[in-house]
Amino acid sequence: MAILVNSHSGILIQGITGREASMVTKHSLDYGTRIVAGVTPGKGGENVYGVPVFDTIKQARHGNHIDTAVIYVPPAFVYDAVLEAVDNEVKLVLIMTERVPVHDVAKLIAMTRQRGVTVVGPNSVGIISPGERAKLGAIGGDNPARCFVPGTVGVISRSGGMTAECAWMVKRAGYGVSTAVSLGGDAMVGSTPKDLLKMFEQDKETQAVVMWGEPGTPYEEEVGDFIANGGFTKPLVAFVAGRFVEDLPEGTVFGHAASIVQGKSGRPSTKIAALKTAGAYVPDSFNDIESVLKQVLG
Amino acid sequence: MSRVLENVAKEVLREHSIPVPQFAVASTPQGAVEAFKSIGPPVVLKALVPVGKRGKAGGVRFASEEGEAEEQARDLLGRELRGFPVDRLIVEQKLDLAKELYASITFHPSERRPVVVVSALGGVDIEETAQTSPGSVVTATFDPFVGLPVYKAREMWSDAGLSGSELRGATDILWKLGKAFLDLDAKIIEVNPLGILQDGSVAAVALLMGVDDDALYRHQALSGRVQAGSDRAWRPLTKLEKEMIAVDEADPYRGTARYTEMDGGDIGFLCGGGGGSLLMFDALSRHGGRPANYTEFGGNPPERKVYGLTKGILSKPGVKGLFVAMNITNNTQTDVVSAGIVRALNELDIDPRTFPVTVRLAGVNEPEAKAVLSAAGVEYHGDDITMEDAASMMVKKMRAAYPGY
Repeated sequence: MAILVNSHSGILIQGITGREASMVTKHSLDYGTRIVAGVTPGKGGENVYGVPVFDTIKQARHGNHIDTAVIYVPPAFVYDAVLEAVDNEVKLVLIMTERVPVHDVAKLIAMTRQRGVTVVGPNSVGIISPGERAKLGAIGGDNPARCFVPGTVGVISRSGGMTAECAWMVKRAGYGVSTAVSLGGDAMVGSTPKDLLKMFEQDKETQAVVMWGEPGTPYEEEVGDFIANGGFTKPLVAFVAGRFVEDLPEGTVFGHAASIVQGKSGRPSTKIAALKTAGAYVPDSFNDIESVLKQVLG
Repeated sequence: MSRVLENVAKEVLREHSIPVPQFAVASTPQGAVEAFKSIGPPVVLKALVPVGKRGKAGGVRFASEEGEAEEQARDLLGRELRGFPVDRLIVEQKLDLAKELYASITFHPSERRPVVVVSALGGVDIEETAQTSPGSVVTATFDPFVGLPVYKAREMWSDAGLSGSELRGATDILWKLGKAFLDLDAKIIEVNPLGILQDGSVAAVALLMGVDDDALYRHQALSGRVQAGSDRAWRPLTKLEKEMIAVDEADPYRGTARYTEMDGGDIGFLCGGGGGSLLMFDALSRHGGRPANYTEFGGNPPERKVYGLTKGILSKPGVKGLFVAMNITNNTQTDVVSAGIVRALNELDIDPRTFPVTVRLAGVNEPEAKAVLSAAGVEYHGDDITMEDAASMMVKKMRAAYPGY
């Protein structure tokens, strides 16, 4: 198995006729991913590489099982697109769109939380489960196997580009990926590393997780707490980038609010300390991901 | 995020019925005197720069006479405050405060909801206060659909120790701030101090506000009044940084690039991807290298953008090597990136056989990239090496070229 997406997922793409979305549709179909339908208002009746296009998700659902939506609509329409997906009983929403207003993100997080829907993104490059030949979004491009081969290591990354590089390090070590998830590069995203570790903990196939962390947000600190409290019991190899930002001059901080609300969390050194204390492997060198994986997976 | 200058923040919040002191903006000592006359003594003169903690940096002065206003204005104007030149002042009524409160609204990073922080012990030392007497700081998040309820605002101030007319006045203003936060797509509104006047009324005395760049399209009222992205720098842009913005904007829809100049350093740094660049900067530093700048590019930039960036990076005095690296991508044309690098090296008459250059580019058209680079005498690497290997290779080359490095 895998998490989030597998060969049985009923996938729909919102904004499918756009340049990027139609290219991704082609790559995904070539990979073997089943895409059931697409939606672009006003373009119902067309098709994109054989995938039927509808005006609404409601129409697309006639005779089709749809549980996963990939959103490629412009920023101003993302919130409405998520609402449409949720009202049509979609269970997983992946938002590829960049530059979504943060208030819209806060609202869609609040709304999907209430409705029990999982959101990944915004500003994600996608999700891929290589063993299922299932990919959502641009991840892997037209050559997913270059970095993503089937296996038992979960990958979670705040950086889109480094999702592939982390998976490639897993491949170099002689292993493969159960599911790789690009969380989205924004400060506020639908699913946090902790949310995904919960899923990887349940996934029988996943034996270890590689996580890419960056400065800002308290996500890595939350992971530390989560492991310390027994929420994730498999080996976690966490790399935290951007240590140099702590040496930059002050002045980037605007006002007192952040310091009062977050304290020192968000700093790479705080993240590293929290992860190490909880028992995660936190290599100093990115190369060490290889040797640490070999050590923990044997 | 766009940092909103205090005069604009005050205008905008006044439009939301939030009481602010009477103020005017002056760019000359004479202007400050005019403002002094119309407002009446005593006044506060504050440097109008997009940084917080201005008081501690000497950017806040007081005047109770015309001559004093002129003198203080003359002293402030033309100064630099945390690197920002002071070319304008805000001259405002100095209110007689009975109490200084603190109030802010931001997003709580783990709750991912708006969070309100209040304290009855406001003022310049609020962070210390939060540390030393955490009980005096009251925090609560609210639902972005519902907004900050009046009762919640009241509850918070009551917990913070207010009562009577102070409680009523502070509640009203906090509720309005909550509404403004949502209405304006703000990322932060901070009022410090939120003043309680001798007559019991309440006013937002000093204000700090940042709004979401990505939502500016739906706020006509803010257009032209705020500068997008103004929170990214810890100082004003350098000349080279401004030139690099021009390079980036010459091809606005193809590829993105950001150049940040570092103090000192000798390795020109051109890396792909936000995450990859963080990794590479750390790795270079850990291996003993000294990056002279921080440049990340992405989104398949055209040749002339890469050329412009490379040329800019190499033009900084003291740069003695060039490091180009990125993570494996599926859309970056590595041959195009290579062509841009080679053109810049050629134009600057740099010989890669003596000037250390390390390239690690893995993406589309790798054989062509290798050909372009090899023809120019630059060693090509793709996924034959890791990113970390590329960093250590760069430092080794620096050591070989410059004994004692």
